[in-house]
Amino acid sequence: MVKLTVDGKEVEVPQGTALIQACELAGATIPRFCYHDRLAIAGNCRMCLVEVERAPKPVASCAMPAMPGSNVFTNSERTNKAREGVMEFLLANHPLDCPICDQGGECDLQDQSMRYGSDRSRFFEVTGKRAVENKDFGPLVKTSMNRCIQCTRCVRFANEVAGVEELGTTGRGNDLEIGTYVQKTLDSELSGNIVDLCPVGALTSKPYAFTARPWELKSTETVDALDAVGSNIRVDSRGHEVMRIQPRVNDDVNEEWISDRTRYACDGLKYQRLTNPLIRVGDRFQSASWPGAIATVADGLSKSGAKGDEIQAIAGSLADTESLVALKDLLNKLGSENTALDTKRGTAPPAHGVDHRSNYLYNNTIPASEEADAVLFVGTNPRHEAAVINSRFRKGYLHNNTDFGVIGDKFDAIYDYEHIGVDAKTVGDFLSGGVKSPFADKFMKAKKPLIVVGSAVTEHDDGQSVYAAIAKHVEANKDRFLTEEWNGFSTLQRAASHTAAYDVGFVPSQQAESTKAKFVYLLNADDFDAQVIPRDAFVVYQGHHGDHGAQFADVVLPGVAYTEKGTTWINTEGRAQLGRAAISAPGASREDWKIIKALSELVGKPLPYEDVIGVRDRLWEISPALTRYDELESPSAASVGLGLAEMAKKGTPVTSTKAFVKPLENFYQTDPISRASVTMANCVKSFVKGVNSEETAVPPAETQAQKHA
Amino acid sequence: MISAALQRSKFSLNLQPFKRLYSNKQTVPQKTTHDEQIKEHRESGLTTPHPPKDVLTAEVISGAPETLQHRQVRIYKPTKNTMQSGTHNTHHWRVDFDILQGGGRWEHPLMGWSSSADHMQGTNVKFQSKEDAINFCEKQGWDYFVSKPRSPKFKTKQYAANYYHSPGKLRLAQTK
Repeated sequence: MVKLTVDGKEVEVPQGTALIQACELAGATIPRFCYHDRLAIAGNCRMCLVEVERAPKPVASCAMPAMPGSNVFTNSERTNKAREGVMEFLLANHPLDCPICDQGGECDLQDQSMRYGSDRSRFFEVTGKRAVENKDFGPLVKTSMNRCIQCTRCVRFANEVAGVEELGTTGRGNDLEIGTYVQKTLDSELSGNIVDLCPVGALTSKPYAFTARPWELKSTETVDALDAVGSNIRVDSRGHEVMRIQPRVNDDVNEEWISDRTRYACDGLKYQRLTNPLIRVGDRFQSASWPGAIATVADGLSKSGAKGDEIQAIAGSLADTESLVALKDLLNKLGSENTALDTKRGTAPPAHGVDHRSNYLYNNTIPASEEADAVLFVGTNPRHEAAVINSRFRKGYLHNNTDFGVIGDKFDAIYDYEHIGVDAKTVGDFLSGGVKSPFADKFMKAKKPLIVVGSAVTEHDDGQSVYAAIAKHVEANKDRFLTEEWNGFSTLQRAASHTAAYDVGFVPSQQAESTKAKFVYLLNADDFDAQVIPRDAFVVYQGHHGDHGAQFADVVLPGVAYTEKGTTWINTEGRAQLGRAAISAPGASREDWKIIKALSELVGKPLPYEDVIGVRDRLWEISPALTRYDELESPSAASVGLGLAEMAKKGTPVTSTKAFVKPLENFYQTDPISRASVTMANCVKSFVKGVNSEETAVPPAETQAQKHA
Repeated sequence: MISAALQRSKFSLNLQPFKRLYSNKQTVPQKTTHDEQIKEHRESGLTTPHPPKDVLTAEVISGAPETLQHRQVRIYKPTKNTMQSGTHNTHHWRVDFDILQGGGRWEHPLMGWSSSADHMQGTNVKFQSKEDAINFCEKQGWDYFVSKPRSPKFKTKQYAANYYHSPGKLRLAQTK
């Protein structure tokens, strides 16, 4: 520990702390532009100058380690003079366009020039200010490079966290420019975060440009539902509209980053919405009243003659826990066990089973991902399925010398990895030591090995055997995989609802799998195969977007999107988080669990809860972990072992040479919200089918010709 | 009380996640094994029962609309705006109402002005501490939920880390 005095206040900090951190711990505010908690120290903005006793000149507190016995003044005349000088230099080349700048109102430069700057200008250059050409960073980040103060936060972020090593600086001094040197868009799933990091208005959000000012916005702190990470977000809304989505700091989940889909898909909330109950008449939908629509559903149920397992419910990726529970309760009351997911093989009991929570959770919590020595990805592309967790892997790669191996599709990772194979058989071969490679050597000896099983395994025909092979390997190497402080078996879910669905048992029974449904209830289900739904079945769609699922419906019941309801979300680690409604739902749409409750009354099997608190009591009854909000109930090594033992019993030795199919074709459009989003469509255009990825840009005519030949 | 339970949860069993403070609605009697379990658990003497607080809720006297009692408030510490480095707005606890579901807001069809039927949508109250906020909500008779505040973990940082040597292949090509 190091003891020093800041502004007359004694403070004790750990060895190796930067002076700026010590000052902060002592309660002093240090202005800064380039220093950021989560990035490497650059030391180039000079705004954090402080006076240290017996130092010949002011020192940059970010680049200076805290020294024992030093006496620091953060508010002395000399410090203030130094800061004023720095401010003057920064402003010399900064345009005076605050009134038309999107950063206005939440600009560090604006605030700090008010607080620490001079009250008058000495700028009389005849040649005017420095001019820099704008860059094209793609459809998400808008640049206005005249405003850049060269703090290089964006460069460091791209370099360290996002793994985009093209972004850098060229030139020196006044001529320093940020860019990719050779024109290139910023191809990263985390690129939106550089907008947050930019302390000035040089990088702003393109979809949000000129739409709102920060002081007009109402912020609601909630949880993201567009992937299984459960990123903590802040929804900024104005009136009826979600204007933007910002991350919220939570070191246990998303640190300070969110993926581009989380951030920019929010414009999809405005399009393609279902606002009225609809009933199919002939080949078109007619809007109806709520009582009418629900009565039609009840009618349809009795007329379809569906009994027991012939009544099927299929839940999609955006279904919240409350509605999952309500729907399952209703189906069980109707005598059906046929509750399925809309994934491939979702209509069958999942390969990993749901008896042991640890078999489908990301047991090795998100923060611990960066501590692994060797990581084996089986049938997953973490870059697309959990972009924020992927940045943790990069952190491990950089600072912990983590090595990676992949069984499954190759992907454009932000770390080097060894590609072991594509099919299920390789998993068995690799784990039994049949593969000789540098990664295999390291993995077999690693103190903290980690196996990340993706959703492609669950969706694979031979999934059960793959799970069994992995379980056997983990059991055989218990001393390395399952210890007090290390949990080396993790499953990565890709959709917000999946963990919750498994937790509440929203899976079909073995018997239900083979039953042909006569009545199908689609709860936010849009990603199913069309063949799943029998032609003559009565289909109800409950959801918020007119997407794939609604086309099949006989009755459409408009639910609400994740920004409009305060519901429980369980992320891939099994962490329960309570969302919060930011805006009220459009039109006549209603909260999802209420719709199911209303329906239950009409079919004569009323559900025993009257309000949302009642539903949560029911959640608690099912599993207390579902309502332990903000706390992680992670399984112990012993219980993981029990779950694995169960899995190891099932399945035969893996012989299938069928490759794992990647579940997400593209990162930007995975659910009805992002498919309705214009911004996401632009991203697909420039990142997925654009000049940067030639391999995917096959003209359709060519493939057609190949088929016929 | 969920909030109290949140605090206690480490030491005692958290029995029910939410509890109504006050409600004049007919709650559905749910005579399940769950109720029996709770009763059994209480009798076992494993946990200290909390005596019901004798609170005269403000609305009895103040004449606040009864509908307020049916709505939930959230007690939370606003998080830092990730767009800026300042932390000034993150030091207090805030109480505000969940939005009114079902048409609480509408837009003027011609001018686009936003209107609201929700008279609490612009109201928020600041408190020095969580306990103050809870106390206030209890006195008002509001159902509340306390969000756990999150602050970044402290990790030492050194300028010298830019120049650390790492054996093996080069993992980071710095472009700054």
